[in-house]
Amino acid sequence: MLSALQNPRQAAAQLLNFGLILSTAFMMWKGLSVISDSPSPIVVVLSGSMEPAFQRGDLLFLWNRNLMEETKVGEIVVYNVKGKDIPIVHRLVRKFGLGEEAKLLTKGDNNLADDTELYARGQDYIERKDIIGSVIAYIPFVGYVTILLSEHPWLKTVMLGLMGLVVVMQRE
Amino acid sequence: MHSTIVRGQNVFGFFTTICFVVAALIAASDLLAPRTPKATVAVKDLQVYEYFHLPNPVRGRPHYYSTKKEEYAIIRFSLSADLSSLFSWNTKQVFVYVSASWPNSTLGDAGKGEMVNEAVIWDTIITNPSADHLQNLGPAAMKKLVRSAKGKTIDPSRGKLEFKNQKAKYQITSPDGKLAETDNMVLKLHYNVQPWVGVLTWTPQIEFGRWKKVKGGISKAFKLPAIKVKKVAEKKAT
Repeated sequence: MLSALQNPRQAAAQLLNFGLILSTAFMMWKGLSVISDSPSPIVVVLSGSMEPAFQRGDLLFLWNRNLMEETKVGEIVVYNVKGKDIPIVHRLVRKFGLGEEAKLLTKGDNNLADDTELYARGQDYIERKDIIGSVIAYIPFVGYVTILLSEHPWLKTVMLGLMGLVVVMQRE
Repeated sequence: MHSTIVRGQNVFGFFTTICFVVAALIAASDLLAPRTPKATVAVKDLQVYEYFHLPNPVRGRPHYYSTKKEEYAIIRFSLSADLSSLFSWNTKQVFVYVSASWPNSTLGDAGKGEMVNEAVIWDTIITNPSADHLQNLGPAAMKKLVRSAKGKTIDPSRGKLEFKNQKAKYQITSPDGKLAETDNMVLKLHYNVQPWVGVLTWTPQIEFGRWKKVKGGISKAFKLPAIKVKKVAEKKAT
């Protein structure tokens, strides 16, 4: 059971291994972030407002560079609203003007009305800087784990407990 | 080394690897399916009105209010499109939309000649039968939809659209409130293919392998008419 105490060298190796896994995951995430120029290059769909295209738990890959052309009408963008924590995934339906100052309006495919109601008070349009990326690729359902974990916090405890158990049981 | 946990981990790891490889192959198979969409769009009727939004919000923007007078345009159009080649086994849905785009006269040199404004005036979602159950429809409409493609997982015939005199779903406005007599406006048909897994694709700007550009799909340039005075106002004047 207490092999870690008996063999400090092995314990250190295990700790290093664990750190390596964590830092690899973190660097991959940050690397993707640099490549796509988006603070959050992978997002999980949290609402049904883009159904039937996206369901809750689907994984979206974002791209936030305008290499060839500007972000345009029809693209599905992820944007932040001042004073709200959760980014929204909706389709761009109107664009007035060019560049950074262009006024953009979004709408969820499954919503009857556009997003004016979701914006900050007195805000009728969003701008390019509010957008953290356009959806370019899609994997269904894989992100549902994160929804489960955030909706049922006790699952986190259970998972941590199981992982701890595995570490303790795995002696060699 | 060969404990149950390690075995379980290996099996799970192998399972996820296989899942990702299969998903990647399915996503790549999109490139093999030729896409040869074609469409004709034409304007049928144009009207420009003006009003305060307060008592009578613009259709499609029920939460938008303005205290100044704004003009809005209602467009009727005809659309004949064949998008059947976009439906393959990896197609979940095709989002079809018609947009109006126009250059900006008030923007100065920056926007001269370029279509700097664009607004979706009409859209529709065409699901592949494999995704019918995900549509947000009433029970009767859902039954009809499911029955229309009974026994089929792919139904390219849904990609054929024919509208003779379709009213725009969304009235268009402009942030500066002016729209009447806007010149060089065009209607364009676009699509967005949503896969079951893989890369999302939009109307291509360039030919890419077996994916061709949309044949047609752009209307002739037109000019919006002057503001149409509502009949009530006309009566008062005479």
